[in-house]
Amino acid sequence: MEGRWQLKDREAERRLFARRMLVASIVVAFLFAALLVKLINLQVTQYDYFAARADGNRLHSQYVPPARGLIYDRSGELLADNQPIFNLSVVRERVDDIEATFELLSSLIRLAPEDVEQFRERLKRRRVPFSSVPLRYVLTEEEKARVSVNAHRLPGISIEPQFVRSYPTGELNAHAIGYVSEINREELDAFAEDARENYGGTNHIGKTGIERTYEALLHGEVGYEVVEKNNRGQVMRRLERTDPIAGKNLTLFLENRLQRVATEALGEHRGAVVAIDPATGGILAMVSKPGFDPNLFVTGISNADYSQLITDTVNTPLFDRTVNPYPPASTVKPFIGLGGLQHGFTDTDTVIQDPGYFRLPGVRYRWGDYTLRTAIGGGHGETNLQRAIFQSCDTFFYDLGYRMGIDTIHSFLSQFGFGQNFALDVGYARTGVLPSREWKQATRNEPWYPGDTINSSIGQGYMWATPLQLATATAIVANKGIVVKPRMLAAIDGEPFQPQDPNPAGNVQIDNPEHWRYIEESMTMVVHRPYSQVFRDYGTAYEAIARADRDMSYKMAGKSGSAQVVSIAQDILQSEDIDVSDLNKDHALFVAYAPAQHPTIEPQIAVAVFVENGQHGSSVAGPVAKAVIDSYLLDILEIDFTALATDPDALLSEGSDRARQADENSPSVVALNAEHEGHRHD
Amino acid sequence: MKASTNRDFVRQSNVSFSQPRGLRSFWQIIHIDPILLAGLLALCGFGLFVLNSATGGDPETIFRQAGTMGIGLVVMCAVAQFDSQFYRRWTPTAYVLALFILGLVLVIGAEKNGAKSWLDLPGLPSFQPSELLKFIVPMLLAWYLASRPLPPNLKHVFWAGVFTLMPAALIVLQNDMGTALMVTMSGIFVVLLAGLRWRVVFAGIFAAVIASPVWYLFLAQPHQKNRILTFFDPYRDPTGAGYNIIQSQIAIGSGGIYGKGYGNGAQSHLDFIPESNTDFILAVLAEEFGLIGVLVLIALYLFVIIRGASIALAASDMFGRLLAGSITLTFFLYLFVNMSMVSGLLPVIGLPLPLISRGGTAVVTLFIGFGLLMSIQTHRVTQPVR
Repeated sequence: MEGRWQLKDREAERRLFARRMLVASIVVAFLFAALLVKLINLQVTQYDYFAARADGNRLHSQYVPPARGLIYDRSGELLADNQPIFNLSVVRERVDDIEATFELLSSLIRLAPEDVEQFRERLKRRRVPFSSVPLRYVLTEEEKARVSVNAHRLPGISIEPQFVRSYPTGELNAHAIGYVSEINREELDAFAEDARENYGGTNHIGKTGIERTYEALLHGEVGYEVVEKNNRGQVMRRLERTDPIAGKNLTLFLENRLQRVATEALGEHRGAVVAIDPATGGILAMVSKPGFDPNLFVTGISNADYSQLITDTVNTPLFDRTVNPYPPASTVKPFIGLGGLQHGFTDTDTVIQDPGYFRLPGVRYRWGDYTLRTAIGGGHGETNLQRAIFQSCDTFFYDLGYRMGIDTIHSFLSQFGFGQNFALDVGYARTGVLPSREWKQATRNEPWYPGDTINSSIGQGYMWATPLQLATATAIVANKGIVVKPRMLAAIDGEPFQPQDPNPAGNVQIDNPEHWRYIEESMTMVVHRPYSQVFRDYGTAYEAIARADRDMSYKMAGKSGSAQVVSIAQDILQSEDIDVSDLNKDHALFVAYAPAQHPTIEPQIAVAVFVENGQHGSSVAGPVAKAVIDSYLLDILEIDFTALATDPDALLSEGSDRARQADENSPSVVALNAEHEGHRHD
Repeated sequence: MKASTNRDFVRQSNVSFSQPRGLRSFWQIIHIDPILLAGLLALCGFGLFVLNSATGGDPETIFRQAGTMGIGLVVMCAVAQFDSQFYRRWTPTAYVLALFILGLVLVIGAEKNGAKSWLDLPGLPSFQPSELLKFIVPMLLAWYLASRPLPPNLKHVFWAGVFTLMPAALIVLQNDMGTALMVTMSGIFVVLLAGLRWRVVFAGIFAAVIASPVWYLFLAQPHQKNRILTFFDPYRDPTGAGYNIIQSQIAIGSGGIYGKGYGNGAQSHLDFIPESNTDFILAVLAEEFGLIGVLVLIALYLFVIIRGASIALAASDMFGRLLAGSITLTFFLYLFVNMSMVSGLLPVIGLPLPLISRGGTAVVTLFIGFGLLMSIQTHRVTQPVR
């Protein structure tokens, strides 16, 4: 059949072609059918699945973080604000090559290895997939522009505005207000599920101070929104929104002006100042020096800055001295003395002969009088309680304390908050130590020795108290026994805040009210009793306070203290040729309240000053207390004592009325105010 | 050469067997097939409609595409004016010229999208000469086989293969696998329609099945392997290689039966669908018009295909039959491969959806093919008798 010249059978070929076309049609029909099956599978059978996937693609439910509550001082000065910044954020799921992205970014903007490291840390935290994680905070305008121009090369990278904390007063309130910083994994894990939900859009959490204490109030409630995003993660439109509820604005008792005065008065010294309004317990000042810039922590403190803060072992700027205990030294004497009077171990007439030392019966060891160690030897001579207070005679209190015994001292002093944290909203304050037999047995496994009592009776040895405790105890003395507990928060969103006290303490009951007056008089003498012909008959703080300001228009009750830093034998300390290095110098303390012995005005402020290695309580710590009290009474409350003296009916100036307004509902305060009123209209 | 004598004999004999008709209709005078034209216009309109949504209503793109379609229609009409004998006569010349141009492209061609297949000649719009081969190859094979006894013997099949693979190889060298594949397929269609014996067909299929693992293991390039792997499991790299197919499946599936409505395709308007104007435009259509929209499109395509098939069956000579059949099947292959790849039935191959996707040269090529169909259809009774 094969042949070169084969004839074509056209009809057969036509039929062959037609058959082939038929086969082709069948194949085409079959392929169309397969395609149709596939489409029906996608569009009908799996419709629900793909519809959900499509919504999942474009719809993103995201958190809307609430605005953090602001913090004001008592006069309405802003202490913690929110400022807008622009962050560079990354949606990790949208970035193919994160290393290349980092490389490109670091050619555009400042991107330290530290930023990248912190970013990786943040990535490890719990988070919603496709949520954006900050990589760099606080972009400059130029950096924003550079990133925007290169946006097409940076998928998954976006610039997000954010409000972050800003502390306009910086260092001044660093310890009291505290700071917020990035929330960490442990903090998130510690939350219950719904609380964690509430922090879904929040990057920051209060770490210290008020920011931490009132985190729950300041934070607010997270909002939600459903947005439609395109392929590049840009929000195209908002579909649903539940607005967040902003955090509460807090008003504190704190006076920023007082903070400044206290800080300036401390000068170059390390130390702490706590001032309390005796009527309310409101903490008017709470300064620990040196401070630090809390703003550094907000957007992630650099390693360099942080190590600078923590390696300074002398200044320890992060260490809050207001709530850490030190030996209270002679500042406890008025309390011991009052306890002696109340429990009948002494009275206002008891006089002892002070040889300059104290000796237990049958014991050779002499407890020397610290206050005399640089003086020319000998004792205070004939000394009663009043003189023992204004001259700060140790020997008198060695004797009194020894006779009272540690049990009496412990039970009496604990009424003033020693050994406990009386503060209602300073939970992080330490309790110090008010020693007792049980305490020593429990912590040291040793019995209580009589010598321990002797050390305790001048606020040394085992006795430790924080400046906050000293200010509180002083306020209670100023109140003549009415116990007020220190607190920071005065009002929430303008509404006066009445804290719940889970462990209410009873007032200090003194059977003979005359004893209150006597102690106040003695403490006033510390500040105001002038030099006389009689040797050592002046108040310890007279020279530094009343003599330095001869025009002082009000009276101040105070007590100085010098706390031994290390146990150095008395004879060594007494020799002048030993150079005691700065760090071994005594801590200087001073507690005070004012006005004291005023016919019409109750004490308005109680202060405790602690100056680390300040050496002399009266001359170094005393003027600090004076400066703070002056500022509060004269500048802030604007009390005109001179006018009041000539016209006893003159009312308090407007300033002081305003000062008390916020607290008029408190039961204890109402009682006090009634007393104020009574005095005023006598 | 003796072949030429043979050819002349066949050509003359064809004429004597044509079936004359009584009246030349208006359409035959202007050499336009109204049925095919109606189908094409419907497809073009539908295509512009979908493209308008896919581009987000970008008038510039729409006008340009409409302009391209207009040019295509004009070219189609022009092509239809010449009878199939004209094409038959000039086919070998055109083929040789085309091979020469392909070689030229390899030397002075411009590269776009990774393929060095563009020719930028001064004074001419830049175009892809490889496109021309999509109809020159079936023309040449139809020319070659029509004059030989059918079914073709192995020698003729061998030469047909050589004629097909020569340009295909040159196009592969231009790094344009998709076009090379389509050119090869258009040649294969001619041979199949010419009656290639079934045992050869099955042997070929069998050989391909055997060869494909070998190809995969030793010859396939990494990106080709990747496409195959992605086809079997798009989720092995959901944000990379699998992204396109995953997103287009989501778009198609979420369209459901009735679609989300014109302009409401979130997947395309939020840029989740890549190449939404070109290769993946079916996803836009399926998302916005649902299964019904896709069925309408398939119906329009089927209409054109059936018309093409009927033209092929009614053609008066074997050249016309084979050419019309091949053009029709190639058109089908285009749309089928695209629709299958977008819906996940086939691995991703970069082919546009004919007459719907945005594109220039490819659209004109399609219309040249339809012009040839019209030429075959409308010159049947007016062939000159010599």
